[in-house]
Amino acid sequence: MSLIQTENLTKIYGSGETAVTALDHVGIQVKEGEFVAVMGPSGCGKSTLLHLLGGLDRPSEGGVSIDGTAIADMKDDDLTKLRRKRIGFVFQFYNLIPVLTAVENAALPVTLDGVKPAEARKRAAEWLERFGLGDRLNSRPDQLSGGQQQRVAVARALVAEPALILADEPTGNLDTRSGDEIASLLRQVTKEYGRTVVMVTHDPRIAAYADRIIFLKDGKVVDETQLERMGAAEKIANKMKEIGD
Amino acid sequence: MSVRYAILGLLAQKPRHGYELRSAFEAVVGGDANWEVKPAQIYTTLERLEEADLVERTSDLGEGDEPSRRVYAVTGSGHAALKEWFAQGVTPDHQRDEFFVKLMTALVSGEGKLDRIIQTQRAHLFQELHAATTMRDSYDPFSEMAQILLLDKSIMHLEADLRWLDIAEMRLEEVKGQPLPEPEIRRRGRPRKVITDSGDPPRQTAVSRKQ
Repeated sequence: MSLIQTENLTKIYGSGETAVTALDHVGIQVKEGEFVAVMGPSGCGKSTLLHLLGGLDRPSEGGVSIDGTAIADMKDDDLTKLRRKRIGFVFQFYNLIPVLTAVENAALPVTLDGVKPAEARKRAAEWLERFGLGDRLNSRPDQLSGGQQQRVAVARALVAEPALILADEPTGNLDTRSGDEIASLLRQVTKEYGRTVVMVTHDPRIAAYADRIIFLKDGKVVDETQLERMGAAEKIANKMKEIGD
Repeated sequence: MSVRYAILGLLAQKPRHGYELRSAFEAVVGGDANWEVKPAQIYTTLERLEEADLVERTSDLGEGDEPSRRVYAVTGSGHAALKEWFAQGVTPDHQRDEFFVKLMTALVSGEGKLDRIIQTQRAHLFQELHAATTMRDSYDPFSEMAQILLLDKSIMHLEADLRWLDIAEMRLEEVKGQPLPEPEIRRRGRPRKVITDSGDPPRQTAVSRKQ
């Protein structure tokens, strides 16, 4: 079943002669539990697409449906609720609050949403432990590496138990090794915890962790590539057989 | 070249006979699926190393009823050669690439659509990259380090190939309609004294090619 569906999704900035078409009648579908990467040259519309999917911006034409509900028809209040409960965001620059500890940062979205602090803390700690930060719960961001800070940011995105995670260049500020760890973590979020992830990246190595890549160019979808056409597990099995022979 | 020095290195570790060298080499590179050497190659290499005075036969004796086996050890100049090898950088060969030839062939022949050929290759490389990444993450860093290092290398190369595709695509778009590369035709025998004003053969342009 499709979690996200867009139809003729179009975003035009400005008007008249200076109008720029950032997205041009884009129709995509994302299944529940799928890990999708969106790639393309800078200015191809990938960040605009992510903003429209997350309801951070309104389309000029066409629309986005999440769980079968068209977000264009929602009132601002409902849209805010959708963003808080159904969608988690991960950005390039973690956006953690410097004076709060890892667990306080991760707990913040649900704390603001009225969940009791002790309960919010417990939920945040659970995600941090799953991501290998059980011993860093009380560290402040400046005491954590970039990769660890981004793991806190992913935990924060998940603490409200959303169905969808939108990630905008989540590894853009990380070294190769930490970037791989975050991409692998996002994959785990889809495969182990059943969430859906849409990630914008310009990095081919990071995009290769996804199930599918959507290529954008000049605001249009130019191609889609399914990555597990020959299952990786099957490939490993063949490799093992070769070695055994 | 690499096998020659790997053999020197393995003999520097301890004297060995030919068959033992083969399995030791395969253990170093992480299995014969990564790099297979035939026994014949081991023995020819050993002979050459012996001729060059880099290794020497230390013993022909087998133990008990076993037949005698040739055991090899590194000589002083063998150690020096190995040291020199470690002291040098290695130039990789990236020029002879089938996809590169395919792309250039498509360009000159006008057969096949360039943008499709690039996109097909892109999809293929991404599938390889996905498989390599999944495979690497399934290996154990303590017992399978050779596999992990080789896959890291493949992953980085695939990444570079994908970036190169992006650049190639951009460059080809920029030069649409420009003249295509033509072989330089050299006439046999004595050159004629007068040709044309410029002497250039008529040029085919890329305008007519299918895009």
